[in-house]
Amino acid sequence: MADISLDTVSKSFGGIKVIDGISLEMKSGEFVVFLGPSGSGKSTLLRMIAGLETIDGGALTIDGKRSEHLAPGQREVAMVFQNYALYPHMTVRGNMAFGLKNIGMDKSEIDKRVEDAARILEMDALLDRRPAQLSGGQRQRVAIGRAIVKEPAAFLFDEPLSNLDAALRVRTRVELAELHQRMQSTMIYVTHDQTEAMTLADRIVVLNNCRIEQVGTPMDVYLYPATRFVAGFVGSPGMNFLNAELKGSGTDQCVTLGDGSRIALEIDVPAGPYDLGIRPEAVRVSAAPAATTGKAAVVERLGDRTLIHLHLEDGTELTALDSGRSNVVSGDAVHLEFDTSQLHLFDAEGIAHHAK
Amino acid sequence: MTPTTIRRINWMGGAFTILTVLIAVLWAFPIYWGIISSLKPENEVVRPYIELWPDTLTFEHYWFALTQTQIGKWYINSIATSVGVTVLTVSTSLFAGYAISQLRFPGRRVLWWLILASFMVPTQVLIINHFVLMANMSLLNSWAGIILPQLIHPVIVIVFKQFFDQVPKDFREAAAMDNASEWAVLFKIYIPMNWGVITALSIVTFIWAWNAFLWPFLAVTKTEMMTITVGITQVFDAFGVYYARQLSAAVLAGFPVALVYLVFQRRVTQAITLSAGIKG
Ligand SMILES: Nc1ncnc2c1ncn2[C@@H]1O[C@H](COP(=O)(O)OP(=O)(O)OP(=O)(O)O)[C@@H](O)[C@H]1O
Ligand SMILES: [Mg+2]
Repeated sequence: MADISLDTVSKSFGGIKVIDGISLEMKSGEFVVFLGPSGSGKSTLLRMIAGLETIDGGALTIDGKRSEHLAPGQREVAMVFQNYALYPHMTVRGNMAFGLKNIGMDKSEIDKRVEDAARILEMDALLDRRPAQLSGGQRQRVAIGRAIVKEPAAFLFDEPLSNLDAALRVRTRVELAELHQRMQSTMIYVTHDQTEAMTLADRIVVLNNCRIEQVGTPMDVYLYPATRFVAGFVGSPGMNFLNAELKGSGTDQCVTLGDGSRIALEIDVPAGPYDLGIRPEAVRVSAAPAATTGKAAVVERLGDRTLIHLHLEDGTELTALDSGRSNVVSGDAVHLEFDTSQLHLFDAEGIAHHAK
Repeated sequence: MTPTTIRRINWMGGAFTILTVLIAVLWAFPIYWGIISSLKPENEVVRPYIELWPDTLTFEHYWFALTQTQIGKWYINSIATSVGVTVLTVSTSLFAGYAISQLRFPGRRVLWWLILASFMVPTQVLIINHFVLMANMSLLNSWAGIILPQLIHPVIVIVFKQFFDQVPKDFREAAAMDNASEWAVLFKIYIPMNWGVITALSIVTFIWAWNAFLWPFLAVTKTEMMTITVGITQVFDAFGVYYARQLSAAVLAGFPVALVYLVFQRRVTQAITLSAGIKG
C-alpha cells in the first residue's frame, strides 16, 4: 500500500515522444485506471512505473522513495501481464513462489503466503498443476496470485481481462473489485474498455496522444468530460455531437441547431459557434411537440432500453434513448426534448464547457 | 470424387509406398551386408558372389576384436572424448547463444557476425593449424588434444540463439519483476524452457564426436590413445587385412551410436532437422 507519484515523466522511443511530461498523484489504496485508445501510451506509462521501460526524464516516487533508477524487482510493485507470462515449466505453486525464492525468503513463509493467496483466489486444488493444464480464467488467477504473494506496495495490471471471453470477463471484473476492497491496496489498471474503467476505478486517467486528457472519478469523467475527446471516448452509446451557434448572454442564452430549433441554456462562455455535445439519455422522446422533431431511421431494441437513431430535418444525425417498451418504429417522426442541464459545448480547441 | 479417382489415388499411394520401401532397403543393405559379413568365416567373405546368409555363422572375429586388440581402451577414449566434446560444446554454445540473444553489450553484433562467418570456414581448412598448435602445447596423444579442436561448432551457437530469440520477452520481464538475477533467468527459465533443444543438440554433438575420424586420426599416434573410429583401422596383423575382422570392429564401433539413435530416435531426428535447417 503506497502513494505513487509521477512528476513530469517523459519517454521517447527512437526520437518519437510517447509520454510527454505527465504528472500524476495516486493515493494509497486507490484504484486508478488508465483509459485510452490503442497507442495512447497507457502500457508504456504502466511499464515505466514497473521499471520495464526506463524513464527518460522526470521523477517517480513510490511510497516516498525515489524509484526511477531502481530495478523492477526493487520497486515493490507487482505486475499482472496481459498474456499472464506464467512460467510453463513450473507448477502453479512454483510460479507463485519464484519471486519469493529469489529474495531468499524462508520456505515456511513462502508456503504460508502461497497457501493464503490460493485460498483467497479459490485455487487450492490447482497448486500442483502446470499452466498448460489450466483454463484461461484459471491462468488469470495464477497471474494475480503471483502478484498477491509479494504483498506489493501496488498492483499493476495491463489489460488483464482481454484474453477472457465476455462472460468470464464480467465475472473476473467483479472479483477484481472485491479483491481490491479486501486488500485495500493501490492498484493501477490499464484498459481501453470504458466499461471496465467505469466499474472498477476510483479515479480514471484518460490518456490520448501521449498526454493526460482528464483525471477524475468515473462519474466526473462521464458527466463533466474535460475535452471533446473524453466526451466521445467515454460512454456507450457515444455522445451526440451537433453543430450549434450560441447566442445571447446572461439569462437570455440559447443555442441554435442546424435545423433552426433553439434550446435555452445557461452557460459561462461567449457567444459563437460551438460543437454541442449531448448524451443519448439526455435526448428524450416526447408525446407533445417539444424542442425539435426528427425522423427515426433505425430503432435498436436492447430489452431494457431502446436506441433510436434519428435524422433532424436538416439531416443532422442524433441518437436518443427511450425506455425498453418504446413504441417508436423506424420511419416515425418523433418529438424530441433535451435535458438542458446535460448539455456541453466544445470550443475550437476541443475544451468542454458544461451547461448549468 | 468418383470411384475411379479414388482408385487412382490408392494406386498412386501404393506405388509410392513400394518406392520408398525399395529405397529404404537400398539404404539399409550396406549395413546388413556389413553385419552379415562380420559373422562369416574369412574365406566366405572373399567369395566373389553375393550370399545373403552365411553358410557358417561364426563369432570368431568379434572374439578376436574384443581379445586381441585394445578395443576396450579405444572405447574408453571414445567415450571420454565424446562426452567431453559434448559437454563443453553444448555448455559454451548455450552461454554464447544466450548472451548474443538476450544480453546487450558492446561488440555483440560483431561477435555474432564473427560466429556466422566462422561457420563458413570448414574445419578441415584449419586442421594443420590445429595440429601445429596441439603439438606446440604437447597435447598430441592426449584426451585434451583430441577434444579441444573439436569444440568449434558455430552451428550450435546459432541454433541456441534462435531458440532463445523465440522465447517471448514477457518471461524475461516477469522474471525481472520477480527479482530474478541474470543467472536465475538463464538457469531457472531459459534452460528449462528449452530442454528439448538442449538434449537434441547434445545428442547430435555426441554422435558427431563419436564418429569423428580425421582429427583423432591425426592427433593420436599411440595405439592405446586411439578412439574407436581410429582404432578399427588398426585391426590387422602380420598377415595383412582381414575384412571380416575389420567389419566386426566397425560394427562394435557403431554400436553405441546405434543405441543412442534407437533410444532417442525422435530427438535425433529433431536435432538433425534443426541443424540441417541452418547447415542448408
Ligand atoms: N518498444 C517500443 N519501441 C518503439 N515504439 C514503441 C515501443 N513500445 C511502444 N511504442 C509506441 O508507443 C506508443 C504507445 O504504446 P503503448 O503500448 O503504450 O500503447 P497502449 O496505449 O498500451 O496501446 P494498446 O491499447 O494497443 O495496448 C505507440 O505508438 C507504440 O507504437
Ligand atoms: Mg497496451
